[in-house]
Amino acid sequence: MKQMTIPQAVAEALHQVMAADPAVFLIGEDLAMGGVFGAAKGLKERFGPARVVDTPISETSFLGLGIGAAMSGMKPVVEIMFCDFLGVCFDQLMNQAAKMRFLSGGTVSLPLVIRTTMGAGDGSGAMHSQSNYGLAASVAGLRVACPSNSADAAGLLKTALEGPDPVVIFEHKGLFDVETPADPELPPVPFGKARTLRQGADVTLVAIAAMVPVALAAADHLAKRGIGVEVIDPVTINPLDREAILASVAKTGRFAVLDEGAAFAGVADALVSLVVREAFRSLKAAPAAITPPHTPVPYAPALEAAWLPDAARVEAAILKMMEDV
Amino acid sequence: MTPDDQLALYARARFARAFEAAVARARDAGEVPGVVHLNGGQELVELGVFHQLDGARDRVTGSHRSHGLALAAGIAPAIVAAEIMGRTGSLSGGLGGTQHLVPAGGLFMGSNGIVGGQVPLAAGAAFAARSKGNGGIAVAFFGEGAAQQGGVMETMNLAIVLGLPLLFVCVNNGWAQSTGADASAGAPLASRARAFGMHAESVDGGDLGAVDAATRHLVSQIRTNGQPAFLEAHVSRVGGHYHGEDQGYRKDGKLTDPLDRLRATLVEAGVTAANLHRIEEEAEARARAAFEEAALEPMDDPSTLALWARDLGGLT
Ligand SMILES: Cc1ncc(C[n+]2csc(CCOP(=O)(O)OP(=O)(O)O)c2C)c(N)n1
Repeated sequence: MKQMTIPQAVAEALHQVMAADPAVFLIGEDLAMGGVFGAAKGLKERFGPARVVDTPISETSFLGLGIGAAMSGMKPVVEIMFCDFLGVCFDQLMNQAAKMRFLSGGTVSLPLVIRTTMGAGDGSGAMHSQSNYGLAASVAGLRVACPSNSADAAGLLKTALEGPDPVVIFEHKGLFDVETPADPELPPVPFGKARTLRQGADVTLVAIAAMVPVALAAADHLAKRGIGVEVIDPVTINPLDREAILASVAKTGRFAVLDEGAAFAGVADALVSLVVREAFRSLKAAPAAITPPHTPVPYAPALEAAWLPDAARVEAAILKMMEDV
Repeated sequence: MTPDDQLALYARARFARAFEAAVARARDAGEVPGVVHLNGGQELVELGVFHQLDGARDRVTGSHRSHGLALAAGIAPAIVAAEIMGRTGSLSGGLGGTQHLVPAGGLFMGSNGIVGGQVPLAAGAAFAARSKGNGGIAVAFFGEGAAQQGGVMETMNLAIVLGLPLLFVCVNNGWAQSTGADASAGAPLASRARAFGMHAESVDGGDLGAVDAATRHLVSQIRTNGQPAFLEAHVSRVGGHYHGEDQGYRKDGKLTDPLDRLRATLVEAGVTAANLHRIEEEAEARARAAFEEAALEPMDDPSTLALWARDLGGLT
């Protein structure tokens, strides 16, 4: 095992796939310098400008180029620097990328990966801090992955390039300085296979991306109070490992989801809905959706810190659930 | 521009520069939450355009690099400083920040975190001015990087087709983050604007006389004929893309600072060194004072978030 950050692991995975498969190419802004977060480090030097394509600030056209190239036998990795910028190219995402395989009756494949970054916590303000994977996940035809560590970020990228559907990988900036262990081979990571990171008998807690360490910290504290929290990282949002979540809820009878995405009509709501519909009879308490408030991300440090869910909020929600007999 | 005007503009440019230096110091001291994009090098273009504008009826939108526009529009420096520091006593009370300066009204409409996002908004302001029939115009400031956005090109066409009193000011500082201007655009931007059907000029943004002549002419033309026009101003980016950036990619040689250049012109025109020195000291002192004043403002209480969540339709 090697300690790696997410950008390091992604860069290494890109080196490996680009060396192995001439169909893979990278396109986006500021790639020559290694990408603004370093996830393209050394690629331009090694593979040249034909395969590491620096673009003007024209997200609509270079995402569309990626889609058309994927429909023409290439395997594009399109970098959208921040997921907030998906707004600029949303037609290409929501209509062009998402619908082509369906509209072809399944005859056209799009082995297209859109890598983007997300997350609050660094004072970047409302238009550089969103976590809008729920928006992407609401579009039928897109696959959505939210890695919580370096091995998953790299492995999901590899898997995504072999699949028929366009995949958006949301990497959380708040995790970029954290080194996590990864097999240097960076093996592919399957989609739709959740990871149970901690066993517990009392509550099932699903946590996404940067919320995973928050969930684990809360679970630690609650264990000292005799409450067993089972922490599940879904790894991908679509496909979703509903079996793993429902099996855990069948065991614990309580469900909470910890999600930096939308407070309203987002992934948290979707998971609560799933659990209520499919595991109603196992539930001993009302499920909890722990999200930021329904506002854009505020700028001031005190406000941004209060906006982000923390372990204390998770603990309070779970303690309340435990009282709810 | 009269010599007095030139001197006054130099004072404002020096203040803008001193303000940005104070932003940088505050950022280094951990008093600014995130990344800041400073406007060093483009002061004369901003102030030259504002010199032609009328606070009662014109409106301006800007990019992520817009502290200077907020100041040029006359917003109190301590308010801009407090906004950049995320404090109360600011424009938003700590919600917006450096890339999202959104005043309640007035000449400056706002800066923008999305490259090019501000340009269509200026078309809206131009449309409103035309509807009101008050002779007002709108100005969109954006970089040569932003000029490659579909939304910007669509707005250029829309402004022509609808006949909007809109001045496009493309501040070409040679760089879009690490992307050189040559790699951004395949053809000169002014000729592109002409192909869209509008009058376009290109100036050296470090030459106040040239900036003044071009903006005077373009603004009066737009006010008269109600049609959009395009100004490209070549400037140099004095600092990094953002403050503290490692500019490893940057190969352009030593830059001439437009403020030094204007200073030399003023000296030649007979302004005394003592006078210039006094202006420079004053700029420095006012910038420091703005940040000292802003630093006295508290951060807002997080309970504001719950109020906003309810306001915006959140269910809890
Ligand atoms: C839609 C979008 N794409 C990319 C970015 C990231 N970004 C911020 S500023 C910038 C460069 C902008 O260059 P230019 O328009 O020339 O303005 P300058 O920074 O030189 O003032 C980039 C790529 C963004 N904020 N929004």
